[in-house]
Amino acid sequence: MAEVLGTFEQAVLLAILRLAEEAYGRAILLEVEKRLKREVAPGAVHATLERLENKGLVKSKLGSGTVIRSGRPRRYYRLEPDGVTALIETHGTIQDLWRGIRWPLKGHV
Amino acid sequence: MTTASTPPLWAEAVLRLFLKPDVFASVSGDLLEQYRDSIQPARGTRGADAWYRVQVLGYVLRGAGLWAALFALAYVARTAFDWLRPTTDFYTRSQVSTALAVGILVLAGFWTAWRSGSFAAGAAVGLATTVMAAALSIGGVALLFAIWHEPGTMAAIKGSGDLEESLVLPVFLIVPGLLLGGFGGLLGATARRLVHAG
Repeated sequence: MAEVLGTFEQAVLLAILRLAEEAYGRAILLEVEKRLKREVAPGAVHATLERLENKGLVKSKLGSGTVIRSGRPRRYYRLEPDGVTALIETHGTIQDLWRGIRWPLKGHV
Repeated sequence: MTTASTPPLWAEAVLRLFLKPDVFASVSGDLLEQYRDSIQPARGTRGADAWYRVQVLGYVLRGAGLWAALFALAYVARTAFDWLRPTTDFYTRSQVSTALAVGILVLAGFWTAWRSGSFAAGAAVGLATTVMAAALSIGGVALLFAIWHEPGTMAAIKGSGDLEESLVLPVFLIVPGLLLGGFGGLLGATARRLVHAG
């Protein structure tokens, strides 16, 4: 069975998917913050991107800098086929977990 | 947006020590863009500077956290061993724990300097490791004492240098940590240069 991605890893991978050609560090950070509705540390995003790249789920390449970055390069990310597979399998696992659960949830309160 | 505002230079210098050169360029660019485009307009320069320092601290914690945890674990384990398995001959135990501590710090310095290419990175990680480990070790020793403080253990604690020594020693290891990390950094940066030159 494939590894199930954590929530934050999914958020980062889905941000890359949504941003497509514009998926660089800070844009991913803003997209993740928007989706998770909370402030996120850039270090957490960078650490996750590094881990995902080491796992072979994403690939990065350096682009050009901009004035606001004082010319420092952007690092652009794109999903690798294994990244797409990991997202699909994680989605399937989550759907399996929820299958048969009646909504709204009722517990012993 | 403003490009005139700049985060604290020393914080950028620290960040540089804890990241690989190519990673530093893109990561510091992201931080700078976020600082200038989002944080500074919302929080002002002082608030943005504080935000930047916290972000850099996060990278330092990620860079030295594992080494600090290892170092503190070794320290607390040695303390527990002395308290729960008392002895009058501490020579062998001291040899082993000193070698372990030196090994962790030199390796931390070597690894960090190997990644960043800067020997100063080794000294920085040695310093960060021992500072964090001091806090963890003191907490760990206090926890040990909270669990084990019956008369037999109290006698063993007195025989091994007393509680005060166990709580103060981690602080005295900070300067050696800086030096040993720097030594490891020197080895790591030299090894990197030799490998890349060859």
